[in-house]
Amino acid sequence: MLSDTRLTADIFQLADSRIFRDPVDLSVLAGYESIQLDGETDLVVELIDLYFDEVPRRVQAMREAMRLTDGKSLASAAHALRGSSGNLGALQVAQICTEIEGLGSVEKWSHLPSLLSWLELECEIALHIFMQERRTRMR
Amino acid sequence: MKILIAEDDLVSSRILATTLTKWGHEVVITDNGFDALAELQKDDAPRLAILDWMMPGIEGPEVCRRIRQQNKTTPTYMILLTALAEKAQMVAGLEAGADDYLTKPFDRHELRVRVQAGERIVELQSSLVQRVKELEVAIGEREEAEKALLNLSLTDDLTGLYNRRGFFTLTEHRLAAARRAGQSSLLFYADLDGLKLINDTYGHSEGSVAITITAEILGRTFRNSDVVARTGGDEFAILAQNASDNETSIIVDRLEENFRAFNAQSSRPYQLSLSMGAVLVDLNNDQSVDDLICKADEAMYAHKRSKESWAGALVEGRPLPGRITRYPLGNKTL
Repeated sequence: MLSDTRLTADIFQLADSRIFRDPVDLSVLAGYESIQLDGETDLVVELIDLYFDEVPRRVQAMREAMRLTDGKSLASAAHALRGSSGNLGALQVAQICTEIEGLGSVEKWSHLPSLLSWLELECEIALHIFMQERRTRMR
Repeated sequence: MKILIAEDDLVSSRILATTLTKWGHEVVITDNGFDALAELQKDDAPRLAILDWMMPGIEGPEVCRRIRQQNKTTPTYMILLTALAEKAQMVAGLEAGADDYLTKPFDRHELRVRVQAGERIVELQSSLVQRVKELEVAIGEREEAEKALLNLSLTDDLTGLYNRRGFFTLTEHRLAAARRAGQSSLLFYADLDGLKLINDTYGHSEGSVAITITAEILGRTFRNSDVVARTGGDEFAILAQNASDNETSIIVDRLEENFRAFNAQSSRPYQLSLSMGAVLVDLNNDQSVDDLICKADEAMYAHKRSKESWAGALVEGRPLPGRITRYPLGNKTL
């Protein structure tokens, strides 16, 4: 996906600094320690694992929706991933999802391939950070 | 409290579930609108639901709309869950029947406050429903009790006439009213002749038939406004209102005629007769119903004693008709 030549150019075409965020705010995850149930598996680890399942499923759904030009499914998948990303502090992923969800009609989809590629890149970054966090917690 | 979580975003769902469990709630989790609707339609459905706006199957607002249409006595408290940017849509969500909303990613303090508000509403509704149920039961019981009390305490099951209590209750009121109005009344006391013999010879069910027939004859001899009662096994008391001394013989004649007519066409193996005494209620003398009955009773016994012995005749197969011919009216003899 990094080889997608349009990516860099398209992203900078968006030219709105509000779209750029820190990839992950780890303090969000740390906040869940307070609701950790005694005797149960580490909630943060469990949430990270759920997110690992969630990301490929939603990205795949968005790719499929783009192929079928199915706006409703695209918005729905973006909405879902925005929710889980927001809940875990994956701010940049959540922000790109917001952009995709707000694309609306097919005529405005010119940036969609770039946005999806960027989304995949940011998902990898976020998952990498979460994986490190998971390792730390499992020690 | 049992709370439904309907959320297809598994991360949000897990956070919600863990948070609510931590706060002591029991959670039911679904990831689509169909299952959410099914859960909320169960008999032991959660009373509070947190529904994601966008879900596979049926979306949150539509779930709200369908649940509201069912108009349950214990309504579900529904909180719609969605992203901050959709806040404007919340009006539509609330119009669809949601009670409240929560934005994602949700703030746990806000979640707590909103769930607590929902809990209070649900508990309030439950206690109201419970109170209404209790009141309905209490009203039902009271109505039943009043009905039973009225029937049991004032009327006689076998004949449908008033019973002793009914007679005393009504007569006291009627006599008081009659005294105020200056109207004279007659109080009769009657005894069905030979009931014991009928019971012994033909059985108690036949005895009951004899009592019922006697009651029926008394009922149509006296006026609807008179108080006709069966005060004991074979004893009857009647208050004839607005009746004077000289009407006694008219009433007695009518009663005799009615018994005669019955006995003439009856296929029963016995004939019915009454012994009867009567007293004129003294307007200037505040006699109790008890006193009046005592006097009428004495007169009745005098009448009974004056009759021929009919017992032997009954044993021989053809009883003598009892005669209500001459009997005393108070101290007078008619």
